[in-house]
Amino acid sequence: MSSRAVALSLLAVLLGCAWLPRTPAWEKPPPPVRDAPVVDAARLHRGELPNGMRVLVLEDPRLPQIEIGVVARRGAGLAAPEQAGLADFTAELMERGAGDRNALELAAVVDNLGASLRVAADWDSVAVGASGLSRDLDTLFAVLEEVVRRPRFDPDEAERVRAEQLARLEKAKDSPQVLASRSFQAVLYPDHPYGLPLAGTPETVTRLGPSDARDFHARVFAARNTLFFATGDLQATDIMRRVAEAFGDWPAGGVPEPGSPPPASAPAERRIVVVDRPDLGQAQIVVGHEGISRTDPERLSAGLMNTVLGGGGFSSRLMKSVRAEAGLTYSIYSHFSMRRHPGPFAVLTFTRVPEVRRVVDLVLAELSRVRSDPPSPEEVANAQSQTVGQFALGLETSSAVAGALVDLDVHGLPEDSLDTVRGRLRALSAEDTARVARELVHPERAAILVVGPADAIVPQLEHLGAVEVVEP
Amino acid sequence: MRWLLAALALLILTFSVGVETASGIDDPTLRTRTTVLDNGLTILTLEDPATPVVSFQMWVRVGSGDESRFTGLAHLFEHMMFRGSKNLPPEAHGRIITQRGGRVNAYTSRDVTVYFADMTAEHLPMLIELEAERLENLDISEESLASEREVVLEERRMRTEDSPKGRAFEALTALTFQAHPYRAPTIGWRSDVEKVGVDDCLEFFRTFYAPDNLVIAIAGDFEADLAIAQIERHMGSLDPAREIPRNPTTEPEQDGERRSMVHFEVRGPLLSIAWHAPPTGHRDAEALDVASEILSSGRTSRLYRRLVYDQPKALFASGGYWELHRAGLFYAMAGVRPGESVEEVEELFLGEIARLREEPVDAQELEKAKRSLEVSLLGSLQTSHALASRIAHDYTAFGRIRPLDERLGAIRSVTAEDVQRIARTYLVPEKRSIVWVVPPTPATGEEAP
Repeated sequence: MSSRAVALSLLAVLLGCAWLPRTPAWEKPPPPVRDAPVVDAARLHRGELPNGMRVLVLEDPRLPQIEIGVVARRGAGLAAPEQAGLADFTAELMERGAGDRNALELAAVVDNLGASLRVAADWDSVAVGASGLSRDLDTLFAVLEEVVRRPRFDPDEAERVRAEQLARLEKAKDSPQVLASRSFQAVLYPDHPYGLPLAGTPETVTRLGPSDARDFHARVFAARNTLFFATGDLQATDIMRRVAEAFGDWPAGGVPEPGSPPPASAPAERRIVVVDRPDLGQAQIVVGHEGISRTDPERLSAGLMNTVLGGGGFSSRLMKSVRAEAGLTYSIYSHFSMRRHPGPFAVLTFTRVPEVRRVVDLVLAELSRVRSDPPSPEEVANAQSQTVGQFALGLETSSAVAGALVDLDVHGLPEDSLDTVRGRLRALSAEDTARVARELVHPERAAILVVGPADAIVPQLEHLGAVEVVEP
Repeated sequence: MRWLLAALALLILTFSVGVETASGIDDPTLRTRTTVLDNGLTILTLEDPATPVVSFQMWVRVGSGDESRFTGLAHLFEHMMFRGSKNLPPEAHGRIITQRGGRVNAYTSRDVTVYFADMTAEHLPMLIELEAERLENLDISEESLASEREVVLEERRMRTEDSPKGRAFEALTALTFQAHPYRAPTIGWRSDVEKVGVDDCLEFFRTFYAPDNLVIAIAGDFEADLAIAQIERHMGSLDPAREIPRNPTTEPEQDGERRSMVHFEVRGPLLSIAWHAPPTGHRDAEALDVASEILSSGRTSRLYRRLVYDQPKALFASGGYWELHRAGLFYAMAGVRPGESVEEVEELFLGEIARLREEPVDAQELEKAKRSLEVSLLGSLQTSHALASRIAHDYTAFGRIRPLDERLGAIRSVTAEDVQRIARTYLVPEKRSIVWVVPPTPATGEEAP
């Protein structure tokens, strides 16, 4: 800084900046960010039972609430394609009766406390969670143990769940968004479980029965394949003791081999599919192909590149070109669905039917541009500060921190990842994001899936190749 | 800086209250400080060092219920607040906050328009300057309005025109409110959104975005004194409006059941029902909330038991109290299973409502419902965003922040007789409106009973 500038700055400070042009805060360099530890070591406790069940407790006495749960490290990815929907079916049935209590009795215990009990299956895990007031810990813990270890799988409940799941599958077609994402999966993975919805298909769900659920439960819920977690207004020593008492005699069991990975290139060449819904005025559009796994070494670079491309909300290239400049949509984003095996990479948006061609062309152009004109150092720096900042927002509550720690455990990622991730993100450069853009984005063979009136849409896509039309 | 704060203390009215609570729960909202600047701008500050996140929210006391000529203007205008000002190009406001790691967005309801940004605390001074910039220097061009109008119309297609639930809700509010401006959808009727011009937006801005119609709420780890001083510096010279025009219309008493039918390509029809209910803050509010819980909360709730479990004709069924500033609704919806009859679902649904009127709820059901409301009340205190929303909501609706203990006390004092009384007062056949969303049947049409 020159001596003149120093003098001026000094003058400005002395005079309270009264008559010098003021620089708006948004034009100044961002203030230094305080990288406080995400996980307070004094509140986090880990343990392991002799049978291999791991335990994670995060104390937070601020509000008289608790959340406890057991997570199995395998999920829908284990089910064979002909049993698609089995993980969902099993999870739903686990909520419907355990130990001495039938479905309604179990629900009454939970509802009477104003608490909640939820069993949820994902591709890579099945999670049983209970939350409520801390004074109800005894009851909630007992319920959790019963649901995890002694679900009943009553045949009449299985019949109800199956009928419900079938009705939901049919009703899901009423939602253009759900229809689009399910149809897109099917186009990408015609011969792999990832091509079928987590909820299954009418053909597979019809065949599911209580014994299938019982077998699936036995495969995934065993000590060595599970993690117990607890957070809220509770004491770690007390929880460790309760877990040892309730689960100490649980057989160790094994850790099931994960299912097979999907094809490396999906689709191998371009496919254009229109799901015909003649009644819609707005077309749902999904463009994409295979992505990367949750443990891929390039996942952070890919995340930054995607932030610039379409993951970054108001700041992304796709948002700028398709919404802000062209007014063609209300929402557009891209994302990598990171699972144990590589899930889809997709751009999702919608527009009025006559504008489908413009939107698809713009999306393909941005996918090409992220390779030919990769994120600049400035774009990468912005994506880094965005990702780091939003990382902190996402972990504001203890419940969210516990959830993130559980996710690391499910995928076998390092326990300290939450505290190291900001440094690892900042260490990446524009070369890294350029490299992953070249390696991971393939507009020339991306699948294009559109839901809407086929008559009006097919002619808008034919310049890109042959168009298949399917029924919902 | 100290002289400035001292000077400000003379200009502004500041008060705060203690944190003692009867329930023994530390109620963070009791630490809220209310500051009203000379020009009427209200600032609510809630310091909470337990979280690194600060939520900065600006609540404007204008919603779609205040519109007079163009429906949808409050919401369209909310979009235009992101489309540039003298010193910032279109979308820069949102982009700058996002790129520095913040979460930024806005929403419009019947009563209010809310702008928010959640960020780590060190960015708060910038958020204040960004808000001041668009309040002082908003720029709306024909070009940016034309483009944003298309964005809003896409939002309308997504939320309403191509959505069975959106269609049901739009038809139901228009049927229930025949006179009150709440009848129009917040996103507006398509024809109105298509015709709003730049001058309409600017007039709306001048009329409703005056400092004495704004409430700024900040919660999280920040220093209130500094933030208040900065807001005073940047927004203290905005001119107040003194008088904000409000629509005078109230809804006349409904004197008979109303019905309407929406034809849409659905596999699972929808049943939606609304009854007129009192506005927010009414003494019956907690009893209406308890009734909502008894009908809808959990697998043991009456509607789940009857319609999803015992006679599995629906996939979901629920009803709840929707409280607005100037009126309210008890709003219910059921998703009929494909192949089942909407008529039968309606009969079962209304049977459960009649039961609420005819017999008092049992003690255990009542306790369960109250417990559930208490647990959700506690759950709403966890994040800076939720805290800022909570204090700003209460202040805009009631002119004060209702302590947690007051809410808990009101919930705990609800009796079985109260629930029966509110059911007999509000949930009666002659005050209900019913909408079915069913597939078109070109041959004969489907008639409601």
